[in-house]
Amino acid sequence: MIGQHPINRRKFLLTTGGTAAGAAAVGLMPARALAQAKPLPAYADWKKPDAMIVHTAQTLETTRAGMGSPAITPADILYVRNNLPAPSADITADPDAWEIAFEGVGEPGTMSLGDLKTYGVESIACVLQCSGNGRAFFDHETSGTQWSVGAAGNVFWTGVPLRRVVAAMGGPSASARFLTGTGGETLPEGLDPTTIIVERSVPTSALDVALIAFELNGEPLPVAHGGPARLVVPGYYGVNNVKYIKKIAFTEEESPAKIQQSGYRMRPVGESGAPGQPSMYEMSVKSWVTAPLMDVSSGRVVIQGVAMGGVSAVSGVDVSLDGGGSWKAAEFTGPDLGAYAWRPFELVTDLSVGTHVVASRATNAAGDSQPENFPPNHRGYGNNGWKAHAIELTVS
Amino acid sequence: MLLAVAGSAAADDIARGKALFTGEASPPCGLCHTLADAGTEGAIGPVLDDLKPDAARVAATVTQGVGVMPAYAEILPASDIAALAAYVSSATGAQ
Repeated sequence: MIGQHPINRRKFLLTTGGTAAGAAAVGLMPARALAQAKPLPAYADWKKPDAMIVHTAQTLETTRAGMGSPAITPADILYVRNNLPAPSADITADPDAWEIAFEGVGEPGTMSLGDLKTYGVESIACVLQCSGNGRAFFDHETSGTQWSVGAAGNVFWTGVPLRRVVAAMGGPSASARFLTGTGGETLPEGLDPTTIIVERSVPTSALDVALIAFELNGEPLPVAHGGPARLVVPGYYGVNNVKYIKKIAFTEEESPAKIQQSGYRMRPVGESGAPGQPSMYEMSVKSWVTAPLMDVSSGRVVIQGVAMGGVSAVSGVDVSLDGGGSWKAAEFTGPDLGAYAWRPFELVTDLSVGTHVVASRATNAAGDSQPENFPPNHRGYGNNGWKAHAIELTVS
Repeated sequence: MLLAVAGSAAADDIARGKALFTGEASPPCGLCHTLADAGTEGAIGPVLDDLKPDAARVAATVTQGVGVMPAYAEILPASDIAALAAYVSSATGAQ
């Protein structure tokens, strides 16, 4: 039995005891356990409650233990981050009737998802991760959900390659620099729409890989994850994967929406968000341990976790059992599903009685490795520091 | 006497916070948030009666913004943000 207890903002203690009572007796019932007392919101009530932390109705995190180290994350434990309330599930009743408008192309127009499928369908495995995943590990005060590792999953998306549709519509306009996706949520009256609309612009280079996704892990895309149709930009942080996609435009300028102009911008602590700062686009190389499985009598430990490369395939993972003093190469235990997917890894080792600080450090094909510490930034975005993601493992 | 003065200042803050919450902030908090004490039923952001944020969390969130929520540091003076923090944390029983 393994108990998991955050001991502070930066570390997690995983104890091994003979019984659940042994773990509970540590007396560190974590705040997240209290958060779990909140029920799943109706639109996501099909998620496994034991594997989910309900931060708010719009922010559901996968627990570290519940995540495990699967090659593909089952939808019923995949995290949810909605920037606006999820629309009624009624919109997924007839996916093929869902309409998407195309602007900034040679021949603008509106097409139904059913018609779009005639341009062909592809599948891709990729990591879906919130920009703020790992925010909880920063020491400075940050607004927003205090995600630890669970605002991420590796899933199969099936959809229509956007490049084919756009080519058929005459290609992007010559002046286009951005691919701008607009979500179909209903906005409240009395508010300037740009204040609140979910509209994200990414560089037009994303056209090469973007999908209009309508299936998640081979099932119709549920409303909780953006169904009936979602813009998926492999390798990009979750916010760019616009749910309930209603409009795709090729634009010279970035969207005027607040979520684009000042939201999701990397900047120093204390600085306001502004267009000149880097936008949260491409993800970085990252890994974390999810599941030590222990044989208490022998001290034999199987360290398991997941590792992603960002926009370059993950090529290796090292594991340290002494807080980064020394490293051993871990083995991938799942298939290579492409540059944008994560891979589970494993290191089998023997540990002495006592406490060990276990860290993982991934490297990608481009040669990037996780830093020891990721610099603090105002909103707590992009954390891939290996030290912050380390765990303490106690062998007794 | 000191306590009475402090209590009065806090009451002023809470009254100011409620006014901001229900209408004077632009956009007003209640447009997007449900808060029973304020009589608002906004359905865009978290239900504050459920979230029960403490004053520090309200202040940080209102100042910095979250997701589609604006950063009110550009909209409200610090004294108003403090008043909102005092009001929301008080109204939800978090403090």
